[in-house]
Amino acid sequence: MTELLKALQKIEERINYLIQIKDFTNWGNLFGFQETCTELKQNPYEYHEEQFKVEIRKLDESITFLEERAEEQLTPMERVRIVRTVERFSLKDILENVYEDYTELGGQDEANIDPAMVCAKATIVRKIKNKPYTATVMVIGQETGHGEEFRNGGSCKPEGNEKALRYMKVAETEGIPIHFYVFTPGSFPIEEYPGAAQQIARNIYAMTKLRVPSVSLISEGGSGGAEAIGLSDFRLMCSHGYYSVISPEGAAAIEGRIREGQKVPKELIEVCAERLKLTAKDNRTLGTIDAIVKEPPLGARHDDFAFFAQIRAEITRATDKVVLSTKSFKAFRDWENKRRKKKTERKDLAVDIPWDLNRDEQRRLLILRSKKYREMAMHGFSGHPDPTETFFKQFQEKSEKFYYNLRYDLIKNSHKQAKKIFREVSGEGSVMFKRLSTPLTTLKDFLAKDGKRKSPPLRITYNKTIPTTQPVQDPLELTDKYTSPLANEDRTVTCPNSHKNGCKDLWIPDLYGEFAGVCENCGHHFPLEYKWYLHNIFDPDSIRFFATDITSGNPLGYTGLNKRLKDSKKKTGRNSGNLTFTAKVMDIKIVTSMLYRDFRSGTVGSAEGEKFVQACELATRKKRPLLSYVHTTGGIRIQEGTLGVTQMPKCTMAVREYIDAGGLYIVVYDNNSYAGPVASFLGCSPYQFAIRSSRIGFAGIRVIRETTGIDIPPDYHSARNALKRGHIQGIWDRRDFRRNLHKCLMTMGSHNLYYR
Amino acid sequence: MDGKVLIANRGEIAIRIMEACKDLDLDYIVVYTDADQDSEHVRRNITSGPKQNAWRITSYTEPNDLFAVATHTRCTAIHPGYGFFSEDFRFARRATIRDHSLIFIGPNWEVIKNLGDKINTKRVANELNIPTIPGTDAPIYNEMEAEDIAHHLLEGQKVEGITNPSILIKAAAGGGGMGIEEVTEIEQFRRVYRQVQSYAKRQFGDGGVLIEQCLTDYNHLEVQLLCSQHGERIHFSSRNCTIQSTGRQKRVEAAPGFHASCFDYDFDEKLVLDQIVEYSLKLAAHVRYDNVGTWEWIVSRSGQPYLLEVNTRIQVENDVSARISYLDGKHPNLIREQIRLALGEKMGFKQNNVEFQGASIELRIVAEDTRRGFAPWIGTITEFTFPDHDWSTVYTHVPFDRPYTIPSEYDPNLALALVWGKNMDEAKERAARYIDEVRIKGQDSQGGSITTNLDYLKQNLNRLLTF
Repeated sequence: MTELLKALQKIEERINYLIQIKDFTNWGNLFGFQETCTELKQNPYEYHEEQFKVEIRKLDESITFLEERAEEQLTPMERVRIVRTVERFSLKDILENVYEDYTELGGQDEANIDPAMVCAKATIVRKIKNKPYTATVMVIGQETGHGEEFRNGGSCKPEGNEKALRYMKVAETEGIPIHFYVFTPGSFPIEEYPGAAQQIARNIYAMTKLRVPSVSLISEGGSGGAEAIGLSDFRLMCSHGYYSVISPEGAAAIEGRIREGQKVPKELIEVCAERLKLTAKDNRTLGTIDAIVKEPPLGARHDDFAFFAQIRAEITRATDKVVLSTKSFKAFRDWENKRRKKKTERKDLAVDIPWDLNRDEQRRLLILRSKKYREMAMHGFSGHPDPTETFFKQFQEKSEKFYYNLRYDLIKNSHKQAKKIFREVSGEGSVMFKRLSTPLTTLKDFLAKDGKRKSPPLRITYNKTIPTTQPVQDPLELTDKYTSPLANEDRTVTCPNSHKNGCKDLWIPDLYGEFAGVCENCGHHFPLEYKWYLHNIFDPDSIRFFATDITSGNPLGYTGLNKRLKDSKKKTGRNSGNLTFTAKVMDIKIVTSMLYRDFRSGTVGSAEGEKFVQACELATRKKRPLLSYVHTTGGIRIQEGTLGVTQMPKCTMAVREYIDAGGLYIVVYDNNSYAGPVASFLGCSPYQFAIRSSRIGFAGIRVIRETTGIDIPPDYHSARNALKRGHIQGIWDRRDFRRNLHKCLMTMGSHNLYYR
Repeated sequence: MDGKVLIANRGEIAIRIMEACKDLDLDYIVVYTDADQDSEHVRRNITSGPKQNAWRITSYTEPNDLFAVATHTRCTAIHPGYGFFSEDFRFARRATIRDHSLIFIGPNWEVIKNLGDKINTKRVANELNIPTIPGTDAPIYNEMEAEDIAHHLLEGQKVEGITNPSILIKAAAGGGGMGIEEVTEIEQFRRVYRQVQSYAKRQFGDGGVLIEQCLTDYNHLEVQLLCSQHGERIHFSSRNCTIQSTGRQKRVEAAPGFHASCFDYDFDEKLVLDQIVEYSLKLAAHVRYDNVGTWEWIVSRSGQPYLLEVNTRIQVENDVSARISYLDGKHPNLIREQIRLALGEKMGFKQNNVEFQGASIELRIVAEDTRRGFAPWIGTITEFTFPDHDWSTVYTHVPFDRPYTIPSEYDPNLALALVWGKNMDEAKERAARYIDEVRIKGQDSQGGSITTNLDYLKQNLNRLLTF
């Protein structure tokens, strides 16, 4: 009887699981079955044992049938719910079952800097030709903890991500592969040191050039949190997992323009989940992941031991593959592996492949990684995807590269060397000469004492002997060539700080004309349109746009996006939300990328990312400084799903390579800069500045309130706070933008820049 | 004339503008604040009803209120008086280019902007070879260069025979006496320079400094100009405003600028006065000055004039110059002329129609304690009478017929008294007599009696026009 009761218990669990997946609806009369269960359980002795068995079998059959149906018609939202159930396997289960042994690093359970992030040194055993081979790996991943409160559902704080970064570096030092496990609904959006966005940016920046093979497995991949540990050489994904730019609820709230506190309609969430293309299959088609790990029907739970064995096989094979790809001499082993696998269907490997890489292999690994991310999301936009697609272009680029290398590396360096030697020699010589000539000059001075020596003209007024010269207009001052169209209005506005600082009302033509949108009294900056910057930051007529034909598209076929894109294109007359151009600042040629508000709130999609990457490449080639001015960015364009998310590693990779090549990357934030871009390719710059009164952060105030329940102060995202916690390096006045930028160009960056 | 003038000021100037408008047959509107309800400029007008021409506003420095009144009452011009918005080019610009455009009675805003910037004025003057105080005419950011200049200036003073040479280091972006330090020895210079520079950077966001010779022994002179929009320029001679309170507020002014009866100079005062008038006209012509204005000069003991700045407004003491000038045998009214010219009229007379004769003195009667740092006195005036002579006049907003409480929000100026005579000696004599005849009584909240600067004025008559 106890066995029967146990079986009944099992069935009840299955029913509950199904109910959870179906979002507590009475799908397939699940509630009816549940009632039957309860009745059976409460009065087991009213039934005869045989009868009880029959009942259970009947239940079992129906539930199995239902499970099969459910698996067949699994919707994206149901997959999201599967991932969110407490029965879902977690990282601890993997550590227990996939790896031989493990030691948790950086905290245990609650005594932890961030319990949501688990780092562990683990050993994994591979059987090759019936001989065990052990290897050590670093396991880094989020821990959802089966609903344990302190784990925060796998939502990492900045310090958790910092811990991950620390152990990535440990793995790099020790030369062991890293296995990333992504189990997060998203990063915890609090701005504690150094800020959620900033920490993620640092992680991605470090991961782009991590000199060890890395493999990641995504079960629940929520946007920024996933990217914080998701950049790897091989990305696996569980077949019932999801990987998305935003939670379906969040997308629905944005789509439906739901006000805070109001309930988001369920149908809209379902629709959004569908549109976001967040399933494993969709991601495989989009190319954002490399392989799928098959799960049992309705997803793997924490007691699916067969599944863990499979993970072990998949993850070792992925690691092998990554390692093998870096080997210069691999043809035979590669072939052997393929042959054996096909023939015997064995998951084990045929040949031992050591996982540590030598210097050459590391270099190759990095090149491959760079290539992998460079080619991501190439079909997310239209227009010329790659400047190297034709032979002519290729030739042009090669010759350009050669020319600039010759000009700025070889010739300039030899010039410098020669200069240095000349200076040394002349310095020595002048000392000797002085020794010899001192008696003569003293004598000359003595004789010529009465004669007045001419001093250079000074800038003193009313000096009859020296004519005053017309002073030139300071070329770094603001000019009044361009007046914002906002200024054409005869009314006044009140400065938002007037209650604090007693600012006078500002007359609009003055404010947007002479004051450049700055309150005279307190320095509050009113937003200005991006065109103002085009006219006032760069030398006149020096702007040359490039890659203008790269056009934002709708790769996911997201309903309604086409029209909105069309509107934006019509409004701005441009093809994407990122302006890339070369310009001059006081005759220093720079490359600029500019995300601006007028085009879909400056959100970053595949086209914008590609343009940014091209700007990086151009700047690398020509050894020019790169300025990324962010007029506004609303984050990743959610309508592009994970294609948008992959812009984070893609662009960071490009800009990292630019910085490593000796470039100067300056980021200037203005107005509002939030989410993905700030947490990756913008946030990774060593020189980040903000225009006063701008806001910088990871998630908006509303999102923070809804996800964390913390009520945050209104100036939470202010530039001043960003400066305080070390995210940005300075706050600029808009009127001094040009001056400050010029100063930056002159004083920062390496000697590799063309004008140095 | 046609038009309606909004008088955006208070006190005696509001009354004088009112009178001038009446004289020109212009409509006018006055504004007042709560504190000024009892002032004469309000009492003489109508504060309610269909014929209302006095409107209450929150502050004289609230442009929104002023322009709202102007629009509501369909004014065509605005007179800023002196102080408040009179030299604010943004206010002038807003008045001119707003939807309901107003004629700004004063120079056009571009002129105000150009001459309002002291550094720019200095630069323009230097271009025209008009002498300015020795020093830099552009902000200096380089310490080495600055030290060089300072050295040069100090040496220059020694050569001239000045006993205590000294220079001033000023924050270029500063104003109102903030961020000014004196240096007498070159050894101190770097320390003070850095101090001023960091102060300027902190306070004004710009580390530029100006270096100038410090003039300790000088007379402060002014040249009154009147220009029309048709390129005509008339001067009304010079006046001397050296006697000032601690806050650089003038207390006694006299015209002409120097007079042989008062002093023993080793320079030809006529030549100096002619020279500064000529320089002033030259600068006015260069910038196309088109209304009343005052050119402020400093004359050193050796008779060397330096242009200090240009006041692009009607000044308090404009009448001092008018009282030594005769146009068809009468004193001109400069405020009336100002309004007339601002509305686009031609001058109608030439420089040789203006005759200069005699001397005049203006006394600014203020309720203040001159012995305690010119601290203002607040209270109620109970008796207020002035003598009436054919050689004197008085301008005041304080009523004669009833008690008047001095509002604590504004300067405690009570009246401007003007006396004139055949020559400076007679004017001085009459001024002393006039002061004796003035009767002012009042009480403060503790029952103490009024303190005025009448004694101070009388004492200072002796050192008028001397160094």
